[in-house]
Amino acid sequence: MKAREYEITIGPTGEVEIHVDGFQGRGCLEAIRFFEQVVGETKDLRHTSGFYEPGEDVRIHGEQRH
Amino acid sequence: MSAVAIITPIVISSWPAISSALVSAAVSMGFTVANETVHAGQNRDLRQGPLTVTLDVPNSSAVTGGLGRGQSLRVSRDGVTAEFRRDARGHDSICVTGQGFSEETLRALGEELSGRTVQHYVLAKLKSEMAGHGMDLVEESVDENNAVRLRVRHWQN
Repeated sequence: MKAREYEITIGPTGEVEIHVDGFQGRGCLEAIRFFEQVVGETKDLRHTSGFYEPGEDVRIHGEQRH
Repeated sequence: MSAVAIITPIVISSWPAISSALVSAAVSMGFTVANETVHAGQNRDLRQGPLTVTLDVPNSSAVTGGLGRGQSLRVSRDGVTAEFRRDARGHDSICVTGQGFSEETLRALGEELSGRTVQHYVLAKLKSEMAGHGMDLVEESVDENNAVRLRVRHWQN
């Protein structure tokens, strides 16, 4: 089992900033897609170290509607 | 690795969901709920008398269907009354009025209440969806700028 950590800040206008951690490669994009489906549209996305490392299969099941 | 995403909220909500968010936001700002009504036309009470400012709630609309349309919810604090309305087309707005207040003050209050309503809506939706996907909320706090901070853990194979 691997632990993923998300730090979520919901600003006073409702804008959401999400830090995802604990992924290899592009696995973080799947996690961000989950939050995007729940909240709205991604305005900005920044990758930090490790984005171009070999990836892993990450699935967060479920279909969200706004 | 890690990544940071900024997501702009889109509020497509039922009346119970958005009115619950409004109440939660209003109470956190020191407002009290005055009443909830179904209106047939213009709100005459707030459009006569003291200065009134009307603002749209950004990126919001009703879910498909007529549920909640024509509803309004009124909150008040220190001589200021704010009425959140969902019209017949499912469009959300906030009408703020108060005797002796400037337009700038009323507009600022309306914008703050509108933003905080969206914030509380997003918070409730996130909590519900995360719980449904096995994510654990391990910490929740509100900072000095009224931003809500959540720390979430998700165990996966």
